[in-house]
Amino acid sequence: MNDVIETRGLVKRFGTVTALDGLDLVVAAGQIHGFLGPNGAGKSTTIRILLGLARGDAGTATVFGAHPWTDAVALHRRIAYVPGDVSLWPNLTGGEAIDLVSRLRGGTADKPGYAARKARLMEAFELDPAKKGRTYSKGNRQKVALVAAFATEAQLYILDEPTSGLDPLMGAVFEQEIGRVAAAGATVLLSSHILSEVEQLCGKVSIIRAGQCVETGTLDSLRHLTRTEVSFAADGLGPAQLAAIPAAHDVSVSGGRVRFTADSDQLNAVLPVLATLNVAGLTINPPSLEELFLRHYGDGAAPGGAS
Amino acid sequence: MNTVGILLRQRLRRDRWQLAAWVLGVGLLALFAAAAIAQTFGNDADRAQILALAIATPAILMLRGLPEGSPVGAFTYFSVFAFLALLATLIHGAIANILMALAVTVGFIIGKLDAGGSLCAGVAVGAVGLSFLGVGLVAAQFMRTSRGANGTAAALVVAAYIVRGIGDAASTAGSDPLHRVAGWPSWLSPIGWGQQTGAFVRNNYAPLAINVSFAAACAAAVFALQARRDTGASMLPVRAGRADARASLRTSLALGWRLQWPSIAGWSAAGAATGLLAGSLANILQAAGGGNTSLLNAVRSIVPGTTQTPTQLIIAAMFSVVGVLAAACATQAVIRLRQEEVRGTAEAVLAAPVHRVRWFADYLVLGLVAVVLVLLAAGVASAASGLAAGAGGTVVGDSFAAAAAQLPAALVYLAVVSLLFVLVPEATVAAGWGLLVLGMILGIYGGMVGLPQWARNISPFQHTPVPFGVNTQWAGGIWMLVIAAVVVAAATLLMGRRPLHSG
Repeated sequence: MNDVIETRGLVKRFGTVTALDGLDLVVAAGQIHGFLGPNGAGKSTTIRILLGLARGDAGTATVFGAHPWTDAVALHRRIAYVPGDVSLWPNLTGGEAIDLVSRLRGGTADKPGYAARKARLMEAFELDPAKKGRTYSKGNRQKVALVAAFATEAQLYILDEPTSGLDPLMGAVFEQEIGRVAAAGATVLLSSHILSEVEQLCGKVSIIRAGQCVETGTLDSLRHLTRTEVSFAADGLGPAQLAAIPAAHDVSVSGGRVRFTADSDQLNAVLPVLATLNVAGLTINPPSLEELFLRHYGDGAAPGGAS
Repeated sequence: MNTVGILLRQRLRRDRWQLAAWVLGVGLLALFAAAAIAQTFGNDADRAQILALAIATPAILMLRGLPEGSPVGAFTYFSVFAFLALLATLIHGAIANILMALAVTVGFIIGKLDAGGSLCAGVAVGAVGLSFLGVGLVAAQFMRTSRGANGTAAALVVAAYIVRGIGDAASTAGSDPLHRVAGWPSWLSPIGWGQQTGAFVRNNYAPLAINVSFAAACAAAVFALQARRDTGASMLPVRAGRADARASLRTSLALGWRLQWPSIAGWSAAGAATGLLAGSLANILQAAGGGNTSLLNAVRSIVPGTTQTPTQLIIAAMFSVVGVLAAACATQAVIRLRQEEVRGTAEAVLAAPVHRVRWFADYLVLGLVAVVLVLLAAGVASAASGLAAGAGGTVVGDSFAAAAAQLPAALVYLAVVSLLFVLVPEATVAAGWGLLVLGMILGIYGGMVGLPQWARNISPFQHTPVPFGVNTQWAGGIWMLVIAAVVVAAATLLMGRRPLHSG
């Protein structure tokens, strides 16, 4: 059994609202798996089911081959979790909350080791642990949860939009920590709607929309579905010359620049033509998840249409 | 001005139900007090007798205030003003205080008291509320959090109550044996000023000018401070806490204790205070002799069953209050579960290796411990104060028996509210407190207002055994223990299937 997380046809309804509508999600051991989708797509609901905080209405979900609801306690010894909106006890300091969660997870048996890990993370995230929970800002609450998650070793990290509220500097610290646990062999499920973060970290990505998985695969395989954006200065180039460029889609001229997109595997046919036109100020942007994302969530995109 | 109007309307809209409930509740309290006193202490001689007893007991003067003669209006004012004033400090806003003053006035008038006195009493309650509105606003300037500001303001209310209590306990004899003149400390307290109106007797509005000036001074101070302070900042710096948790904070039970011990200590202190009063009152009543039949009858309407001595009767009556405190403490322990769930902090515990049933059971265990602590505090305090007042050794056994008898009803509340939490989480808080108030009204005051027996029987408190006398009915207590056990078992079983409901 090489899959750490596996859901098949997972359905979850809240009254008349269907939050998950037959979700299939497979995360293999050792992956950093990006879990993308807009607000309300069902990311948090999926995570709550995987953590045994809620139960699915139909379909199956397994974590490490076990049932997340019935085997919750055994599974939670192997899982670290960071919620998207961290709540802290108003009267406990951040340091107390971190110690409590780590102890509940049994991660403090090696006391000096735990103290060293906690101190290192506290410094890296620049967190003041002596403040009461109610006085932390959103970003600092998020840091408390991140330190608590990384201060004890886990085999699976489930992170629900963990960097919301963090500044970019702390985002970099977060990426370092993810790299560290991944190098140690842990599996990571990273829910996010920050595409650059997912592009940077994740080997595999699943995109969900309206409770269904609409796209899943490695970043490279998904990039084949996208187009590269090309632009250059419009100086002296007429419509006839532009029309001669092969495989160009959506050609437009504005602000003195020509822009078009091309299928990524057609790019080699485009470049010689650009050379003969002697274009200036050429930029070629590789396909981004942004574009992939917009294809699925932009106007008129049909749910599940591309999968 | 238009902006003020919009803000005011938004505020009223936000608080309208809470405000309506408070104003209505205070008005009804005034009405019930007037009606109950007219019924229980119908004639002048009865009231004079009780007042003589109260004047001989500084503890009662401290709690209630100062009597100004035995006419029914003056007697009612003596009985309830201090409580009404306390309630008035809990609401915020000048308009709210005006509404509350009206509610008290109308409540007393419907209760067939003199209109002039009723108005004076109402205005006095509103003026005290206004003073503490000022206190609350100043506290808000100094504290970083609303919790800190509320805590400070509440502490100042309690201080004002106690200062007035000390002044009243140190009062001197007035024009006749049933009049008392307040000691100087009463003049340091806004509640004391309200009391000095002597509503129904003198109807003197002058002391209320101090309340109003005090509120105005507070408001002026707030404007002065506001001009110097950044929005969101506070005049006092926030203290730092611990960077590491104590070694004991390592289980969900330890977390529950950490979150709840201040409120458990509060309920226990209230239990101890009630016990203290029970022990000392019991002895005074004993000394006053059994001749005061109207008082004994009044007490008897609270206590079901038959009892032997007046001492035991007063202990049983006071411990019915302890029973309510214990049940309230149990209710709050379960409500914490719901608060943890809604706040999202329960998720942090349940995403760790803590079984949901274990988490639930931890809070029930804490509830049980809390109930036992409240009862123990009351028992010890009652026994000690009884002994100190020279009541003889039996008061020890009586106190602890009366305390133990309250356990079943409190456990019924623990069980029923926990079942509510499992089955209808959204209703836990409102229904939990609602059931407590209902049980209190039906079971404890039901006899006073003459409710039919079947209605009174709905309340668990009605079935609390009175462990004195020849034919003690233990069956009620045993049945309640059985019911509590069955309900807790069902709730625990169902908890195993219950997902987290954060909404």
